[in-house]
Amino acid sequence: MAGRSITELRGGRVYDPAHGIDGVVQSIYLCDGQVVGAPSDPSDIKVSHDLSGCIVMAGGIDIHTHIGGGKVNLARMMLPEDHRQDLVARGRHPRMGSGHAAPSTLTVGYRYAEMGYTACFEPAMLAANARQAHLEMGDTPIVDKGAYVLLGNDDLMLRMLAGKEPGVKVRDYIAWTLRAAQAMAIKVVNPGGINAFKFNQRKLDLDEQNAYYGITPRQVLLALADGIRELGLPHPLHIHGCNLGVPGNLDTTLATIAALDGLPAHLTHVQFHSYGTEGDRKFSSGAAAVAEAVNRSPNISMDVGQILFGQTVTESGDSMRQYAGSAFGSPKKSVLMDIECDAGCGVVPFKYKDKNFVNALQWAIGLELFLLVSDPWRLFLTTDHPNGAPFTTYPHLIRLLMDRSFRNDMLKTINPDAAAASTLASIEREYTLYEIAIMTRAGPARSLGLGNLGHLGVGARGDVAVYVDHPDRERMFTTPRFVFKAGEMIVRDGRVIASPTGATHVMRVDYDTSIERTLDAYFERYMTVSRRNLAVADGEIDGDGRGSLIAHGARRSS
Amino acid sequence: MPEQLAENSDPSTLHHAVACPFCGLLCDDLVVAETRGALSVTDNGCAKARIAYARPVVAASPLVNGKPASLDDALNAAARQLKRSRQPLFGGFGTDIDGARAALALAERCGAIVDHLHGRALAHNVRVLQTRGLATTTLAEVRNRADLVVLVGADINDDFHEFARRCLRPSSALAEERLATRRVFHLGPAREAPRQPGVDAESIACSREEVLDLVNALRALRLQRQPRLRGKRLQAVSNLAGAIAASEYAVFVWTPGQLGEDGDLVIGAVCDLIADINRSKRAAGLALGGNDGGQSAIATAAWLTGYPLQLSYAGRTLEYDPLRYDTARLLAAGAVDSLLWVSTFNPHPAPVTDLPQTVIGMPTAQASSMRGVYLPAGTPGLDHRGQLIRTDGVVALPLPQLRDVALPSAAFLLHEIAKRMG
Ligand code: SF4
Ligand SMILES: [Zn+2]
Repeated sequence: MAGRSITELRGGRVYDPAHGIDGVVQSIYLCDGQVVGAPSDPSDIKVSHDLSGCIVMAGGIDIHTHIGGGKVNLARMMLPEDHRQDLVARGRHPRMGSGHAAPSTLTVGYRYAEMGYTACFEPAMLAANARQAHLEMGDTPIVDKGAYVLLGNDDLMLRMLAGKEPGVKVRDYIAWTLRAAQAMAIKVVNPGGINAFKFNQRKLDLDEQNAYYGITPRQVLLALADGIRELGLPHPLHIHGCNLGVPGNLDTTLATIAALDGLPAHLTHVQFHSYGTEGDRKFSSGAAAVAEAVNRSPNISMDVGQILFGQTVTESGDSMRQYAGSAFGSPKKSVLMDIECDAGCGVVPFKYKDKNFVNALQWAIGLELFLLVSDPWRLFLTTDHPNGAPFTTYPHLIRLLMDRSFRNDMLKTINPDAAAASTLASIEREYTLYEIAIMTRAGPARSLGLGNLGHLGVGARGDVAVYVDHPDRERMFTTPRFVFKAGEMIVRDGRVIASPTGATHVMRVDYDTSIERTLDAYFERYMTVSRRNLAVADGEIDGDGRGSLIAHGARRSS
Repeated sequence: MPEQLAENSDPSTLHHAVACPFCGLLCDDLVVAETRGALSVTDNGCAKARIAYARPVVAASPLVNGKPASLDDALNAAARQLKRSRQPLFGGFGTDIDGARAALALAERCGAIVDHLHGRALAHNVRVLQTRGLATTTLAEVRNRADLVVLVGADINDDFHEFARRCLRPSSALAEERLATRRVFHLGPAREAPRQPGVDAESIACSREEVLDLVNALRALRLQRQPRLRGKRLQAVSNLAGAIAASEYAVFVWTPGQLGEDGDLVIGAVCDLIADINRSKRAAGLALGGNDGGQSAIATAAWLTGYPLQLSYAGRTLEYDPLRYDTARLLAAGAVDSLLWVSTFNPHPAPVTDLPQTVIGMPTAQASSMRGVYLPAGTPGLDHRGQLIRTDGVVALPLPQLRDVALPSAAFLLHEIAKRMG
């Protein structure tokens, strides 16, 4: 047998929560792109890196980051002033580009890799825009990627529900949509509300009817969550609920959790959905109540959507709420779109100010949620990039979670009324590295059913991030010593040295193909593309050696 | 005779649901017959498409300084030209997304400035986006939800011809009642009002220059201010203002390429009007444009760099400046010293210039007499597969290969030039 070529990562402190490994000093071996066991023949080790004093984790996985698709690209086009302040000079990365809140695809890939992230999931792909989303993700280097496709505001789904179509039809439609859009999961945004906005409704509560179809958000949520469970998709319905950003929406969030009644679901950017109406300004933290509900609902996972102060841009499929928010935009300009009887979007630049009461309290609410939700396996670290802040703020956010005195120092600098209105100062919890590894690696991988990602066991993909242990966790997580992607070193001392192409992850479940005839007729009668042309073919993603596809299956065969 | 027999056994292939690349609408319901490399549209599609598909394939050889050359020699000559150039300009940019990706990669490599054939028109819309923002909609929303459509200085008789059949007056819509009561208005020269059968547009005739005044008058009426109009014209505009007030979903359509130099002012005024309406009812805009891969060019540039066109790779960092990096101005000012011109959908000739050029695309009369390199390339959607983004900026469509005439794609040629840059 010819000698193998093994890379040894020797003697780092390993955090691999999927295997319960919590800071154990041990070596990791990489061969042919994978993690392998310790070689019996030491001469197989061709390269060895001494990692003493280093922290070793699997590559990071961002479960919710807006990196590709129409609204992201609108934000880019709309904000030359954003890029001008953060241009990537020739030679800094393999290709030129720009940041900051709406970075170019090239820059997104390099910067994620430079933080030790090796996979990113775009949470708001529209079936009507799926081809473009995949084109953009295809031009996002290094990281693996995947996307969640939106359902629940498309006229077809609402017609199906209004027409009391049987659940099996809805399930076939969900499965077909996953396939056609080459998606990893299903997301719903303001269930039925985006559609209602097209009929000039300006808000839609959980039990309020869409004026045209007579369907309520509750019906949409249950139909989708139930369909997804029946199909056996690993990632449950990804929910951006009703009333985003509305003071008092904490009640909507609690009612949504209650409505799900045990059905698996993921609530996204919960910070934006945890507002009360107490106090002089009728704006207060609902974090404690929401965290409590999440803690006692094992069917629910969530991500926070932490805000951090500074200029960013908000991009959302929630045209209804983005329109309402456009009055507060800065700089003053916004895009609003009604999209293809399928969805909508709104893009509003926004500056979060630490001296502004509402913004400061939003910051505190996000941190309260992080610290009050007890199970890191059901809580993922996000800023809802770029809605709460650009993803490049993650190291800072991690420090806020891990370092109480730093957190309290920051708390002293924000709007004092907001600081006083928050319980943050009294919360003692500090995240451990193990918990950070769960929230940014093992948890997202388990939730998405990614199999060989997010851990370091034998057979795992050789996606590894190595950080120099430093008490300043922000510094530590900003500049990894090494990052490996599929066994290849791609980052050294925080700088990209190689730029391989990541894979695209998709979910495939069987469905009764007779749904395609129904859809053909619908597309023919009402749409402006044919069903066949809407669907993104495999070759458009993995053709010409450009990219590759990794297809995942249901948790169980249905 | 066996040959005769072979000809009789029908050699043509029918392609269904073909997406047409010849204007920004990308109608995808064409049926195209292919017979030994000759194409003809047999169902759907407009006259423009029928003519474009039927264009004969010209067996063209690569040329270097007007003389036939091997592909390899021509590619080498193109690479040499770029290497010698201190400030290249990439113009035309009439290509699909893969072509745009390849062009931008090459531009980065040689520090080029990049513009599109329809760069100025595209920039009108982008400027409005960057200054005040937009509320827009897409083709299927127009088809299904609109009860009022206003064509603002938009002539859809040639380009965008099928907008009438597919969106304005389709055979069916989700909101049938809205389709049944849908009103269509046209603002602009009477001869430009839609002539497609069944559209029945209510025409408010005015010159192109007056379109802006009329839009402002509409807005004044909504805000209960005195419009600067009188007589019949005031009556007509008041009638439209009434229709807007009565509508549930009004769509305003403009064509940036037809609006002239102050197109951004017209678009901005329409967007102000839309914003007013959206305070109480629903309205949205729709730009019809993006021909010759224009929409794809600005979208691809935006995701790869952060900036739409026009932009420059000449410096240490990217620079975006639609005014400064405009093809005609750069050439007039002598600010560039070579031109790489790509036009694969239509035989748009490169601007007249003495500079060394590389032209990629359809053969033009000019190619044989120019100083530089001509590289024949196929048309995406006919000669090779591709992808394009529709005028509404949302839907991207796959383009099929309908025949095999051994013409390379622009993307292939651009990659080959890049390889030879050393
Ligand atoms: S309207 Fe445009 S896209 Fe449609 S067939 Fe004519 S040229 Fe082609
Ligand atoms: Zn989000």
